[in-house]
Amino acid sequence: MADTVIEVEHLDAGYVGVPVLHDVNFSVSRGEVFALLGGSGCGKSTIMKHLIGLNPVLGGKVSVAGLEMNPANRARILRKIGVMYQSGALFGSMNVLENVMLPLEEFTRLPAAARRTLALMQLDLVGLREAADKMPNDLSGGMKKRAAIARALALEPEILFLDEPSAGLDPLTSSALDDLILRLRDTRGVTFVVVTHELPSIFKIADRCAMFDRARKAMVALGRPADLRDGSSDPFVRKFFTRGGA
Amino acid sequence: MKPIVVKAADADSIARHWGDLRHVDRLRGGEVVVLDVSALTGVTAAFEAFFVALDRHVAARAARLEAVDPQGLLAPIRARYDFNAYDGAAPARRRHRPFLVAVGQGVCNWCAAAHANCTFLGETFANALSMIVHPRRFRFRDASLAFERAGFDGLPITTAIGFLLGLILAFESAASLRTFGVEVYVADLIAIGLFRELGPLVTAIILAGRSGSAFAAEIGTMKVDEELDALTTLGLPPVRFLVMPRVVAATLAMPVLTIFAELAGLVGGSIVLQLMRVPPVVYWSHVTSAASLFMILFGLGKAALFGFLVGLIGCSAGMRTRNTADGVGVAATAAVVGGIVAIAVTDGLLAVVCYLLGV
Repeated sequence: MADTVIEVEHLDAGYVGVPVLHDVNFSVSRGEVFALLGGSGCGKSTIMKHLIGLNPVLGGKVSVAGLEMNPANRARILRKIGVMYQSGALFGSMNVLENVMLPLEEFTRLPAAARRTLALMQLDLVGLREAADKMPNDLSGGMKKRAAIARALALEPEILFLDEPSAGLDPLTSSALDDLILRLRDTRGVTFVVVTHELPSIFKIADRCAMFDRARKAMVALGRPADLRDGSSDPFVRKFFTRGGA
Repeated sequence: MKPIVVKAADADSIARHWGDLRHVDRLRGGEVVVLDVSALTGVTAAFEAFFVALDRHVAARAARLEAVDPQGLLAPIRARYDFNAYDGAAPARRRHRPFLVAVGQGVCNWCAAAHANCTFLGETFANALSMIVHPRRFRFRDASLAFERAGFDGLPITTAIGFLLGLILAFESAASLRTFGVEVYVADLIAIGLFRELGPLVTAIILAGRSGSAFAAEIGTMKVDEELDALTTLGLPPVRFLVMPRVVAATLAMPVLTIFAELAGLVGGSIVLQLMRVPPVVYWSHVTSAASLFMILFGLGKAALFGFLVGLIGCSAGMRTRNTADGVGVAATAAVVGGIVAIAVTDGLLAVVCYLLGV
């Protein structure tokens, strides 16, 4: 498929000597919001670490933005993706604006004034303009995550990976973050890969999802969230979508 | 056996009844153990655990448990738990690894640590070369901040320790030299001792305690907070971003700190000799004649080398921090211990080399 931006084929996921998932296959299309689902410890964050090149692939093949993930291509792939970590992972010694400006300083030849304007615009986009001079420790959990998204957006990535964006947030903040993801998808055409287990968020933002089961060490479902909820024959998948009810 | 009468179900009261299980263990079989809970109005988790244990101990001795339970408190417990599942619930004895397995695992761990250290050294070396070729990539602002913390903030303690070192050296050596009436040579001893050996050594140990541990804790906390992963996925090598500025700062801060420690030590020594009625002019003239320029520069070069080692080991410990509750503490400890050992070993090697070269 021409507009496929992530291709995972027969991936054995895990850490060296500790396999977590076997034979994982899925692909993500451009402009899609794709969710990696599953219970705690099922390996969804591990899959993400393979996709962003933090963990070496144990077996199989991972292609991101048209390049196969390997040490030779890793640096080129990293320029095409952005990552928001669960805690935000803002650099504590810099204020919010400096955090967003950092990748621009390192990878562009833009003059300082242009870097500053561009960074402020990213903060505007995520609704954090007024917090530009604040230090990360002075931000709430939701603000940290939005600032991390602004930093990840600074170099205009094709794909944005979000690790548990709703974790630790109240429902309103979580919903606002979901709206932000959809807005960025629609206005900037960014592809999102979201690691989550928050059902309201999944149904609101995810076009498709892949579900993993820790017990079977495998991917057990792939498709649209509503289709999986209503039509899956797998008891684990049904149970997950009905919060243990079915 | 006397009936076990439980009058209260709180954890402290139940704790006293666990001793009764020893009496049950002495039974020979066929006896009746009476558990009287008629005074209880309700049960607690502690009581439930005791009841299960008592039942299992009684069963193990082929005895019989009879309950005085007018309120029917025990039947729901039996219904709720599978008592057979608690047979042998005593803590299992820790199994020792076979000797060869322990040795093998130790060697594997050592090899993994050596591999990690070599990788780190290689990355640092590659980044240092890259800095030389592209000086703009060096994070001057981070380095100056680290220099301020390691150098300027460490000045008071380093100067104070240097002063006390000179004072102690003078007192201890003067006592012996005075016997021969040559206490004026205390000045020579202090000058040579401080400039050549003790100044850099003691300052480096202070740096390892203050800044080596701080480097490890800062980088370790960043690792736990996923900031290192964030740097990596932004395409910024953590070694260039975090390690190089700190190593450079420690390398440059050490000679400066050492100079202050040495000067303070000389002042400390002069105070003692003044008390012993050695005129300051004589003291300072002995100091200047004993300390050659080569000796001072050699000491400062050694100080820079020690600073480099402390910075490198502190940052390396931080980069290897585990994502556990005690990870940062372990990294900080490893930084201090590793730093001091490296300083001592390097100093010993330098002493041997100097001896062989006749320097």
